[in-house]
Amino acid sequence: MSDRPAPWLAIARYDAAGRARGSLVVTGLLSAFLLLFLAFFPSLSTAGIDLDAYVEAFPPAFQEAFGIIAISSIEGFLAVEFYQFAWLLLVGLYLAYLAGGTIAGDVASGRMDLTLSAPVARRDVVIGRFLGLVPLVALLNLVLPVVAYVGVLAVGETIAVERLGAVHALAVPYHLTCVAVGIAVSTLVSRPGIAQRVALGALFALFMFESVVASTDYAEFGDLSPTAHYDPSAVLVLGEYDLTGAAILLAAAVVLVALAVVRFRRADLSG
Amino acid sequence: MPAIECRNLTKYYGDVRGVEDVSFTVGDGEVFGFLGPNGAGKTTAIRTLLGFLSPTSGGGTLLGHDATDPVASRRARERIGFLPGDPGLDRDRTAEAFLDHQAALRGEASREQLVDRFGLDESRRIADLSRGNRQKVALVAAFMHDPDLLLLDEPTSGLDPLLQEEFASLVRERVDDGASVLLSSHVLGEVAALCDRVGVLREGRLVAVESVSDLRSRGGKQVRVRVAEDVERADFEVRGTMNLRVGETVSFTWTGGYDALIDLLSNYTVMDLDVVDAPLEEAFMTFYDGDVPGPTGDGGGGATRGGGASRGAAADAGGDAR
Repeated sequence: MSDRPAPWLAIARYDAAGRARGSLVVTGLLSAFLLLFLAFFPSLSTAGIDLDAYVEAFPPAFQEAFGIIAISSIEGFLAVEFYQFAWLLLVGLYLAYLAGGTIAGDVASGRMDLTLSAPVARRDVVIGRFLGLVPLVALLNLVLPVVAYVGVLAVGETIAVERLGAVHALAVPYHLTCVAVGIAVSTLVSRPGIAQRVALGALFALFMFESVVASTDYAEFGDLSPTAHYDPSAVLVLGEYDLTGAAILLAAAVVLVALAVVRFRRADLSG
Repeated sequence: MPAIECRNLTKYYGDVRGVEDVSFTVGDGEVFGFLGPNGAGKTTAIRTLLGFLSPTSGGGTLLGHDATDPVASRRARERIGFLPGDPGLDRDRTAEAFLDHQAALRGEASREQLVDRFGLDESRRIADLSRGNRQKVALVAAFMHDPDLLLLDEPTSGLDPLLQEEFASLVRERVDDGASVLLSSHVLGEVAALCDRVGVLREGRLVAVESVSDLRSRGGKQVRVRVAEDVERADFEVRGTMNLRVGETVSFTWTGGYDALIDLLSNYTVMDLDVVDAPLEEAFMTFYDGDVPGPTGDGGGGATRGGGASRGAAADAGGDAR
């Protein structure tokens, strides 16, 4: 019948609607977290300590891991204290964790049986579940720049709107890749709890790997990690926008979802 | 065109047999029952036909479409309703949201009518519904697009007797409208009440396919009787009695006619009497033990909880029934 939406769209909508409340809560918590850190900035910047000299003394791997370029400006402070930690690591891991539970969770609960007893292709399920997390990614990256901007003004500082916009625009491909990692793992590991932890652990391990090899001769292998292609510090402090990195991340997300489709098509639903 | 054609369907989970070499046909407009204890392979057979599992070998068709081909099977699923006994529903969504979603996937021509008929409160969260009400949600989802083929896997396991009756009449109405049904159950009575033919699954193999009328003549009744007098075990060890247990109440599976049972009980002052369809685990499998290769009689004893005497009686009765 033609009046029914495409199955992938129906699945994505239903999934997103189910996450609406949780998405708002996470957005609220992260906004509060951001404002909390911003509230610290005035006392930090007037303390008369040369913070940049302090962080300069950190080992290169540590500086790499936390994307430390400069910390004394509001841009550097936001990059290190919020974006490098919350946006790159926390939100990335959270998205991978959420996505890791999707397909494996449906199969384990028997929900997949009901979905697939309807005229729905397995491809529709994988794509629908991926797209079901896109509204959360969009919400986070639309609300937080506004919160950050207002927060910066509130502590009496100014920040380039363009850079703030860019740090979120470039976060979208990165976050989509994190979702895709979770979706792919969710089709490989049958137990949802394990799939969630594997997705989270894999992303974290890649992040650690990238940080460690960054200051060695094997730095190029660090490019395997999604975290290598999104650098909030470079965007905020230096105004460098890594569009190639964004393209690589988008391509990686597509490839991971495609692999998930191939894998899930062949899978037995353990039920 | 048959509604279901299952050809030599075999599914192994690694080394573990799910089903092996299962072949049967469900005719257009027929109600076919899958009968067997838990773990006999009923669910595996249905889930393999629906494409949730890929068969190790063999295959089948649903409404004329190849069940093992994803594209063809999707076409068949336009007209299929599936109701599992323990459906996976989203606990934190309302019944309405869930059914809206199912409707978007398959259509909802009869949704309103079914919701009214089963008195389902759609506004409630699924987690807050009782097991029976959750089963109603899945039931509406399975029937609301007026499917031509219904695959019902232990469908009434969560329903109370009144709802089971309502469910049975719904199935009959749909069959009158031309639908075909594959229904699995471990309750003989349920299958007998709804099905035209029955396939008996045992350890993954289809050991018999019979019409319900043939089956009825073989089926046993579970009898529990309390009498005023003292009971000698030997008095009840007669032809037609199986799984005899003598205690404060006397219980046994009765495979003879009602008259013979009344004659047997007429020797006593009956204080309390309960006669129900024997559950499969207790009685039905005993009949079929002799049909499968291996030690005869003793296997039936495994299903009975009685002592040595009833074991012997089971073997005898099994022989008689054949």
